[in-house]
Amino acid sequence: MKVKELADKLGLRAINTHKDKDVEGVYISDMVSDIITGAKANCVLITLQTHKSLIAAANLVDVAMIVFVKGKNPASDVVELATKAEIGLFVSEADTWTFARKLAELGLK
Amino acid sequence: MSACTHRWSMTNIRQGYLVVEGCFECGARSSFFSTEVTPPIDEYQEGKHFWIHLGNYQAVKFDLRCGLCGKTVGLDDMMGLMLSTCQDPDCEVARLAKREGPGAWVYVALCADSTHRAGRCVSQEGIEALNQYFNENIKAPGKKIIVVPCRMCSSIDKCRGIIIADTGLTDLDAQVLPSQRQRQRG
Repeated sequence: MKVKELADKLGLRAINTHKDKDVEGVYISDMVSDIITGAKANCVLITLQTHKSLIAAANLVDVAMIVFVKGKNPASDVVELATKAEIGLFVSEADTWTFARKLAELGLK
Repeated sequence: MSACTHRWSMTNIRQGYLVVEGCFECGARSSFFSTEVTPPIDEYQEGKHFWIHLGNYQAVKFDLRCGLCGKTVGLDDMMGLMLSTCQDPDCEVARLAKREGPGAWVYVALCADSTHRAGRCVSQEGIEALNQYFNENIKAPGKKIIVVPCRMCSSIDKCRGIIIADTGLTDLDAQVLPSQRQRQRG
């Protein structure tokens, strides 16, 4: 599944321009040190964390897209760094559990 | 020399705290990794240094193991990784990032001793394994991760970057080294 297709199916709000990469897995974490040991390339990262360090970690492991749950919005410098890294940023109003269930229903694991 | 082309994966992943200390006499910074439930916050003298506690940050450490030949590269000497945003023309890290172009992302592997007076930093073997590991997992065309040791920075205490550590994550300002944060406040 591609980033755009996933975003459309889940009604996500895009907050930057990004590439339509393949999405091949899911990782949930709010700790940046955990992301570099757990997230895989081309995964969708679900998080509450909006700090710039998150993008530094996500870029290192080549995350395809990040979804900020509970309607959280990152600051403009965070969006700018993610755009430069070609990581799609999206916002969902759902909480982490509800959003994760939606991803599972779409067949993402 | 090994003929193995190596296919690295993370091994020996440890959860703990990065404990950062500073010497109030000379301004040196030192850090170590603690897996204790409550990390130590001691103040003590060590030779000419008077170490005071600057902070504990949740962190993860890991080693790399080759699935083909079984070789393990220990990364005990690496305290963290920092995405370099340095633009100092006198810094080799900034020059490297400029030379490599927009698809390259330079990460600095931080060792325990910012002064490098003891001559130690993250091992060359560790740096090579980190470069291979992160790049072999990248799927974005044209993207390249370059990991360099912090001894390459003109001054790691002045170098600008985004440290991958769980500290200050609710702050709005970009994450910086403790010594930089003190200067920004001053």
